[in-house]
Amino acid sequence: MSDILQLKESEQRFRALFENNPDLVLFQDATGVILDANPAYLQAVEKPREEVVGRTFNSFLPEDLRALFAQKLREAFEGHKVHFDVEVQFLGAPQPLIYAVTKVPLVADGAITGVHAVFRDMTETYNSNRVIREQADKLNTIFESITDAFFLLDREWRFGFVNSEVERLLNVKREQILGRTLQDVFPEESQGVLHEQFENAFRTNQVMHFQAYFGRMQLWLEVKAFPSKEGLSIYFSDVTEKVRSQEELYRQNKDLQQFTYIVSHNLRAPVANALGLVDLLGTLDKDSPDYKPALDNLRASTQQVDMVLRDMNTILSIRDKQGVEEPEQVLLGDIVEQARLNLAELTTQCGGEVLTDIPADLYVLGNRAYLYSIFFNLLSNSLKYRSDERPLRVSITARAQPGQGAEVVVADNGSGFDMEKAGLDVFRLYKRFHSSQPGRGMGLYLVKTHVETMGGQIEVSSAVNVGTQFILHLR
Amino acid sequence: MDVLLIDDDTIGVFLTERLLKREGFTDSIASIPSAEEALAFLQNAEPHQLPHVIFLDLNMPLMDGWEFLEALRPLENRLLGRCHIYILTSSLAHTDLARIEQFPLVDGLINKPLDAAQIQAVRAQVEAALSAGQEVPASPADQRP
Repeated sequence: MSDILQLKESEQRFRALFENNPDLVLFQDATGVILDANPAYLQAVEKPREEVVGRTFNSFLPEDLRALFAQKLREAFEGHKVHFDVEVQFLGAPQPLIYAVTKVPLVADGAITGVHAVFRDMTETYNSNRVIREQADKLNTIFESITDAFFLLDREWRFGFVNSEVERLLNVKREQILGRTLQDVFPEESQGVLHEQFENAFRTNQVMHFQAYFGRMQLWLEVKAFPSKEGLSIYFSDVTEKVRSQEELYRQNKDLQQFTYIVSHNLRAPVANALGLVDLLGTLDKDSPDYKPALDNLRASTQQVDMVLRDMNTILSIRDKQGVEEPEQVLLGDIVEQARLNLAELTTQCGGEVLTDIPADLYVLGNRAYLYSIFFNLLSNSLKYRSDERPLRVSITARAQPGQGAEVVVADNGSGFDMEKAGLDVFRLYKRFHSSQPGRGMGLYLVKTHVETMGGQIEVSSAVNVGTQFILHLR
Repeated sequence: MDVLLIDDDTIGVFLTERLLKREGFTDSIASIPSAEEALAFLQNAEPHQLPHVIFLDLNMPLMDGWEFLEALRPLENRLLGRCHIYILTSSLAHTDLARIEQFPLVDGLINKPLDAAQIQAVRAQVEAALSAGQEVPASPADQRP
């Protein structure tokens, strides 16, 4: 009795599950005829129960799916539990839906008496997955199609998304950097502008927009870093060419100002004198005592015009050669010795001495003629502006700076100049700071131009009546 | 009329001197080749030693013409009406002309080379100022005890 009771109870439980199941549930025989269908199925095909039960499942299927379902049904009747996803528009149903279908054979007394088919509607999940996938694809396409390089840094500074422009500009492979930290991938940048600005963006939660030099690839980058909850979205582009042409433009503009100044002052002065002297000579009697000095001065003035033009030509030809001539490795000691020897007579005449301390194997990268001009001009200046109060001593010392070329110091004990007054003007063309000595104000301008043309730098320090010191950084 | 040339360019000084003489401007011409020396001279000069006209060059090493004029400011009262400064420059910079407005001592700017017409113009201007100054002193500092 209790067995029957239990059976009844279990039958009821099953019935309840069947009737109330939101999934569509069918019970089919081996020929595909529907023996039972739950209300969810009836609703899906919009048919009353009597028009469903007793008919084949095929009659609810579009033709192209019949073979598939027949095949799956066969598999179930062979004793397998069958699972598959399929998009179906049941005949009579308003739209196609995606179902996860499970077919379970019902075994009674060792024989399969039928198959339960459960259709779970997966349309919504499927669609939202598809939307996610599509959006991911779309984002990927966007990040790949923008011309900027783009990557994500998470809050631990690890690389997230990296587009192919990043790979190209920074010369990295995304699979090698994804998940690694910025510090790990570019340790040399940990003291640099990039690191500092990203830190600012993280700290202040503000967008950072800046230019930074990326040493490893010798590129100027224009960078925008947008902070978010996840980390930083970083866009950048290569602006090296722009930065270089701005520098070039700036330099050319400065040159132009300089040449305007030369024309206005240094060329105009002797021309004005010549004009005046011609006027004067026109009214002077040939026997006048002023006649000869006026003529001599006219000659001198025209020679001055010529000299300024030659100077300008010298400067312009240096500028022209910039970047054209290949630099070579030059033995520094040789060049300095040449300059020293060529001024040896003058040095001895004034009782001075030039001491050099240059490693015999020290090479610098540059141009032989420029290097000679630099040391010749610096030594000439030391001689010209020596102090009357003590014998001139010039020392030239050089040492290699590993990886950065060489540092050369040229120091004298001459009359010096007032740094506060002169400052960086000492390097300006035709700028002079001594009235007692004749000079064109050309030497230091040439020195600086030559040093910079070879990619070096020059600094000066001086104290009145103590001496002057030039520090050169050569490559 | 006493004239002082302040110019480091010897050719310029030679020329200006000869032209002034040729035009009969004056025979009393002194020249000082640096602005510092000229400043020291003017600071220490007795009133009767002050020149009537100064031709000042602008482009000189160390102290240039503008710096000289700045350094002269404390003497302005003593010099106004007595010393007429003309800038005599080879420079063609347009900014110079605007800049002279800042210096009451400067009566004009002449581009080198000096010519006959300019010299006559300066003479007329200075003579007018001098005769006016004799009747009505330009400033109290001008009144000698």
